[in-house]
Amino acid sequence: MSELAHHSTDYSVVESESPQVMARNLRVASQLWASATVFFFFAFLFAYFYLRSLNSQHLWHPHTVKAPVGLGTVITACVVVSALAGWYAARRLEAGDERSWRSAGIAALALGLAAVVLQIVEFWTIGFGPTEGGFASVFLGWTGLYILFVLGTMYWLETLLATSFRYRGAGAAGHEPGEASGDPGRTGDDIDRPISLVRPGAGAFAFYWAVLAVIGVATWLILYLL
Amino acid sequence: MSLRRLIGFNLLSAVVLGVAGFYAGWWLGHQITGPSIAYFSATNQNDIALFVAYLVGVVGFLVGLGFANYPVQRLLGKPPTLREKEQQGAARYFGLCTDHKVVGIQYLLGIGAFIFIGGLNAMLIRFELMRPTHLVWNGNNYLTLVGVHGTMMMGMMTSGILGPFANYFVPLMIGARRMAFPRIEALTFWLLMAAGTILMTTFAFGGFPTGWTGYAPLNEQANMGMDAYIAFFALVGLSMTLLGLNMLATVITMRAPGMTWGRLPIFVWATVSTSVLMLLAAPVLISALLMLTMDRAAQTSFFNDQAGGSSYLYENLFWFFGHPEVYILALPGMGILLEILPVFSRKPLWGYRLAVTGMLGIGLMSFLVWQHHLFVSGINADVRPFYMLSTEIISLPTGFIFICALGTLWKGRIRATVPMLFSLAWLFNFLIGGLSGVFLSDVPSDVTTHGSFFSMAHFHYTIMGGLLFAFFAGIYYWVPKMTGYNFNERLGKWHFWIMFLAFNSTFGPLLVIGFLGMPRRVVTYAGYLQGANDWVSVSAFVLGASMLIFLANLIWSQVFARVPTGVNPWGSKSIEWQLPSPVPVHNFDRIPTFGSDPYPYGEDAGSMLAQRPVVSPARPTP
Repeated sequence: MSELAHHSTDYSVVESESPQVMARNLRVASQLWASATVFFFFAFLFAYFYLRSLNSQHLWHPHTVKAPVGLGTVITACVVVSALAGWYAARRLEAGDERSWRSAGIAALALGLAAVVLQIVEFWTIGFGPTEGGFASVFLGWTGLYILFVLGTMYWLETLLATSFRYRGAGAAGHEPGEASGDPGRTGDDIDRPISLVRPGAGAFAFYWAVLAVIGVATWLILYLL
Repeated sequence: MSLRRLIGFNLLSAVVLGVAGFYAGWWLGHQITGPSIAYFSATNQNDIALFVAYLVGVVGFLVGLGFANYPVQRLLGKPPTLREKEQQGAARYFGLCTDHKVVGIQYLLGIGAFIFIGGLNAMLIRFELMRPTHLVWNGNNYLTLVGVHGTMMMGMMTSGILGPFANYFVPLMIGARRMAFPRIEALTFWLLMAAGTILMTTFAFGGFPTGWTGYAPLNEQANMGMDAYIAFFALVGLSMTLLGLNMLATVITMRAPGMTWGRLPIFVWATVSTSVLMLLAAPVLISALLMLTMDRAAQTSFFNDQAGGSSYLYENLFWFFGHPEVYILALPGMGILLEILPVFSRKPLWGYRLAVTGMLGIGLMSFLVWQHHLFVSGINADVRPFYMLSTEIISLPTGFIFICALGTLWKGRIRATVPMLFSLAWLFNFLIGGLSGVFLSDVPSDVTTHGSFFSMAHFHYTIMGGLLFAFFAGIYYWVPKMTGYNFNERLGKWHFWIMFLAFNSTFGPLLVIGFLGMPRRVVTYAGYLQGANDWVSVSAFVLGASMLIFLANLIWSQVFARVPTGVNPWGSKSIEWQLPSPVPVHNFDRIPTFGSDPYPYGEDAGSMLAQRPVVSPARPTP
């Protein structure tokens, strides 16, 4: 018989997990996901320079294809300011200022969603189609997928804000363990006090959103200005 | 079973919603394209409808399993829960379950089923090649068979070892109760099942002619069966990325006290290096396939040479993923090999740090060799020497693994158990694979052997001879811990010897046949090669029959005979073998503290645990 574990052990008396574990998980996952995202867009970067250098049939970038620099700049600005607001929000939460976190978080969310809407407007009014050469292909593919990543990241921010609003003012004893999750076997601090996971979540979000904003700036430089 | 359970979130609901989603997407796709299909579709067929159908079908499948519940709850600000369906009973294997041990078993059975289908395709291919002219199938059907076989095997086996064994054992080996992200862990498995099903639908849409690599421009000209290939590999890529992320996060953050990086079991190191490759290489594949999707469905021109794109772009992007993928397949096998050898040699793992360096070195180098697949594709001659050299250099870290394996075996008290036999066969097969690979890494010899059966035999020696033999070593070694029941040793040895001899009898001659000039992916061949091909086909059938022996053993020993395993039948020092068989839901009553690496064989220390005995503070249930 093993000394390390027994089938008969009641799950509910197994020691609870430290909330720091899940906080660390979120931080590490954010960094790993950022690396995967960089490699995802690396493929488009490679495509840009590869097709540009080959210029097959002289159709890389016909004169009729013009990226809308003004709108692209506004979209990038929205993303960058949103990332700054997200970073500020996470810092305020770290300092214990929940009210500022929520305000700055809402601003970051609004700006991120504005970028998504403006990207749709850009596609609607762009003046060239996917069939018009290599640049048009890279432009539409890269910006289209980038904005999907932005949308997903805004979903993440919304979940953090929603938890923050739902449990604002709730103390550590405000909820019975497992009450919210329907999981009586789990006594972790994140269940007892859901707001405790928002802080590491916000830090992880701010890091990832900053990386995505840097990719956005690179996208703007390459597709609109180069 | 009550009606309530039938209509809950489970596999039945998933299949119903998946099929309904497919047809809803098909209808929606036709509404999107409407009369303007000629504009949207490059090949005058409704690829959009099929892509949308696959997308909505997969979403429906996941919703049916219950994967949408958590994101919706989070959207409303509800807190997370880590346990879903962690109860006992068979039902947990047919739905979303966050117990890493259940997911491991799901992977083993699910991937096993698709590998079996891939193997059947191989049998059909060898049957066709028993005649130098057409026997049963025409050229297109033959190419589809070859393509589905290669794609299924290469796609599914990316998670062939990490899926079942790393999911099950890595948390145990590092002293954790769970994976870092249990829901993502379950998602990776179900994405793979959806992917495999989608690939099988290619037969309904005319198949695809490109083989597993899906090269342009053929991938743009192919009929709608190609869309199944694209959806399959994209889902596999997503599954791989998430699997890699989850494994890395788990090992980085969830190690128990005392489990330092220098004490990690070597299988965990193999998992780490594989996961890095998965995390960084698979996103490039997904990007390439999304570009291809846009080319086929929206007439972009990424890979269209006539419209400002380049077919070479696809080849480059594919192999930037594709070559690391070879090591995604090989590294876990090396991990199993080095995990098993000390147990059955009764010696500590020789050169632990060298082995770790080898694994990390292979991972790093694997990103620097991809152009050797394009030596004969018209690449600039000036870049060839670099890639020739980098490909040859990657044999150095691979050599480290061999040195560590041989050093461990040296003067050991070797026990010829079934897992040990499969491990030793790995050494032999992978050596042949590596030596034949030298001919493909050197430009002069690659020019004559590329695209022939020689290269096909080479990668079967490395991937099937490496990965599949390690896979079976893992099955015979660990499944008794997973189920609590032993395999039949005699049947296991029959399985091994027939498989080993038939494998070499199949692929050894194919090296020669390739040298004699027989090309891959061509249904006909020169008449003088028929004798050799017949020999290979018969050997392949015997190889296939050896799998039936395994199946018989599996069913007999796990369903009928049910001989209890006990806690530690192999006398292993590793922590998973100090736990009950099968392992309880919560893994450990108390998180253990480690005092050494898991290979203290022949030394004074009796166990890798610092505190013995670790007594449960928990009270048993009445």
